[in-house]
Amino acid sequence: MSGRRTAFEIYWEILVFCRTPQSFTGIINRCDLNSKTGQEYLRFLVEKGYIVEVAEGDKTRYLATERAGEYTALFSSLYRKLFDAPPRFKL
Amino acid sequence: MHESALVRFRSEIRHFYIVTVANIIFAAVVMAFGISVIVGEAVSMYETFSTALYVLYSPVVLFIALVAALTGIRWLLTSVRVFEGVEAIKDDLNGMGGEVPDEALTRLIVRMLSHYRDNRATIRTMILVCTLGGVCSFLLGVAVSLEHLSISADGISFTINNYLVIPFMLLTLGVALVSLASSYYFSRFANVWDERLDEIEESEALLKETLEMDRR
Repeated sequence: MSGRRTAFEIYWEILVFCRTPQSFTGIINRCDLNSKTGQEYLRFLVEKGYIVEVAEGDKTRYLATERAGEYTALFSSLYRKLFDAPPRFKL
Repeated sequence: MHESALVRFRSEIRHFYIVTVANIIFAAVVMAFGISVIVGEAVSMYETFSTALYVLYSPVVLFIALVAALTGIRWLLTSVRVFEGVEAIKDDLNGMGGEVPDEALTRLIVRMLSHYRDNRATIRTMILVCTLGGVCSFLLGVAVSLEHLSISADGISFTINNYLVIPFMLLTLGVALVSLASSYYFSRFANVWDERLDEIEESEALLKETLEMDRR
């Protein structure tokens, strides 16, 4: 997903993608980030305990923890709530 | 909650898609209309200066045609940019069929918000360009339909070419109406999505709290 996104939207994207172990390259490609910002986002999520680093052979993969579920569920409900009201744009 | 959110999101995307398609069609019509008048005026200009024929070109018509052609090109390019993003979202939504998982719906909503953020200024410009395009095509229709115009102390007199006036008037009226309707729908769409961006900003405090950013 590209385009102008908020940090919260990027966190959500990373956490949802990392439900299964993912490589750093896979994450930055999927979330359309450059490696510098990708590292910053991942470092933050690892520090807060939303993602853990898993060693697979000589590779490091990132996996979302159970705590991530709380954030992703809240995020989804807030965004879907935008469409709770009757359609506001209609022809 | 998910079902109704999905139905509403789908409906909004479909309606906005129709508005952008209508915009592309009418932008192309305004551009073509402007170019055809420019070509006609260029021929008149050539005949006025290079042959013995007494043909006069109209600088006013030429100017309006030029503005219409340029507005049409700008209108077309901006419409296409907005259209591409909406089309991709609409195609992905349709590709999922009737059953759209929560996560996929949230992703599409995020994509639409992101697309709107990227094109916010463009959509605002489009509201103005649509209005200008409509006004230009209407003026062009009136100017081309006039066969003779004279302003004197006694008043204003003009004659119109009956063969030209009906198709021109119908075309220009149609384009003007569609432009104004587009402008209206674009402003409504922009207002709705601006409100949504505000709502998202308000709920960011909760997300921030959940992510424990304050305790960082």
